[in-house]
Amino acid sequence: MVKKPKLFIALCTLPALILTVVFMIVPMLNAIYLSFTSSTALSVGFNSKFVFLDNYIYMFKDKDFVQALFNTFKLMLVIPALTIFLSLVFAFILTQGELREKSFYRTVFFFPSVVSMTVVGIVWSFVFNPTRGILNHMLDLFNLSSWKHAWLGEGKTALWCIGAALVWQAIGYYMVMHVASIDGISQEIYEAASIDGATGVQKFFRITIPLLRRSIGTTYILALSGTINLSFTLSNVMTGGGPNGASSVLLQYMYTQGMRNANFGYAMAIAMFTLLLAIVLAMISRKLSAEKE
Amino acid sequence: MKTVRTWCIRILMILFTIIFLYPLFWNLMSAFKTNAEYLTDPYALPVSLNLDNFVAAWQKANIAAYFGNSVFVTVLSTALLLLFVIPISYVLARYRFAGSKLISTIYMACIFLQATYIMIPLFLELQAINGLNNLPVLCLVYAVMQFPFCIFTLQGFMSAVPKDYEESARIDGATNLQLLLKVMVPLAKPGIATITMLSAMGFWNEYPLALVLLTDDAKKTLPIGMANLFEVQKYATDWGALFAGLVIIMIPTMIIYLIGQRYLLQGIGAGGLKG
Repeated sequence: MVKKPKLFIALCTLPALILTVVFMIVPMLNAIYLSFTSSTALSVGFNSKFVFLDNYIYMFKDKDFVQALFNTFKLMLVIPALTIFLSLVFAFILTQGELREKSFYRTVFFFPSVVSMTVVGIVWSFVFNPTRGILNHMLDLFNLSSWKHAWLGEGKTALWCIGAALVWQAIGYYMVMHVASIDGISQEIYEAASIDGATGVQKFFRITIPLLRRSIGTTYILALSGTINLSFTLSNVMTGGGPNGASSVLLQYMYTQGMRNANFGYAMAIAMFTLLLAIVLAMISRKLSAEKE
Repeated sequence: MKTVRTWCIRILMILFTIIFLYPLFWNLMSAFKTNAEYLTDPYALPVSLNLDNFVAAWQKANIAAYFGNSVFVTVLSTALLLLFVIPISYVLARYRFAGSKLISTIYMACIFLQATYIMIPLFLELQAINGLNNLPVLCLVYAVMQFPFCIFTLQGFMSAVPKDYEESARIDGATNLQLLLKVMVPLAKPGIATITMLSAMGFWNEYPLALVLLTDDAKKTLPIGMANLFEVQKYATDWGALFAGLVIIMIPTMIIYLIGQRYLLQGIGAGGLKG
């Protein structure tokens, strides 16, 4: 090993590190600090009062926050699991199935992943449009007009419209990740199973899922974090959180409090709570997927 | 029996192909329709490849300016990203020095930190230094947000390159900078291509940061401009320009994707992360 070129190392690392501190670490620390203060647009920084946990306590008395929290929970309960399951099925079909046009499906299913979330939000707003929407039109075609809804305009359905768009744009992405991990499984295992007369469904549940346990753990965490984060853009673009907060989610409520109402302190308490929630859930899923090995 | 099963799977896949493509295809069709056509039947094929909507979007709906801003932001952010990320990834992959472990760990932890969480403190910080509505500053912020993932990926990539090449170049008297630029960069090209493409697409599509850091309409990027246009058009009946705008914003990423699919899918398979 040659002598360490100290100057070279410093020149390579310091610029990136300084920028990281300025635009990532400092805002992060500031977010934590603000969350303990009563900062608003009129009193940012040192003029604001230090209120310690008041913001965090107030949250749970704030009906709108609780609603956003429950909406986020609902999405987190359904969306990551559905996304990961479907993406696994497709990845399995693409790697183990016998369709000649496999690479076509791979290309197409991934399309939504390169589309901007803003576009996803707008396009899906048209799918759910009550008068001209694709979905209501389809229901008419299949003589199911009684199932028609105003979708984004109704409290009961609005959140799940956002959920549908979330699943739609994420499946291809996770499918590609799962394809890579299934390719890592020795083909011999599948062949041996075929000789023993295993069906595709059996191979999927008995070989693929158990052997991919760890990587499913990782993709599940990514999907959880993605659901929390991307639901912000969709909720903001598709419904603005409405009607009456029925589709508001945590980060969207944070944005409303912070940028619309200029309650910076309270908004940051919501952001930190959300981040903490994401980290805790990630740790729990990591633990669960690492067990039983 | 086997062919029956294959066909069942095929039908399932075709069904999902329609689910994935139809909303985008419907959007594309609508972009070519006149308003009258759209209002009579939103599902019919357009009568002709009418480009009026694109012209209207480009000229009246300010899309030309948004497009210019988006191109500027994407190119500059990507250039800045590579400028900072390649050297630090190289050093982290090749040298052990005081703090090297810590730096890697911090970046790995930060992969989880999405920009949305810190968008308000960033807004306050940039407001204090007069950095709002400033595209180069936004580019710097964009680049930094991609540091954790890109450093993590590229460092892994560079560690896997055998050291022999650098050692023989060193014997030939190459300087450290030459080792980085002439030896490592060409060898790590697939890794660099992957992070470049993923990041460039992320910059082009970015919404939350642009939403809070750009308030001046003249500085807005396409995703923000389109979201505003959508907001305004919700209550109007002239959708044409909006559909055309949506097509305009999608085309560049689609092209990059179709050209660079191999690198892109490889990168994601290796653990790529979504912005």
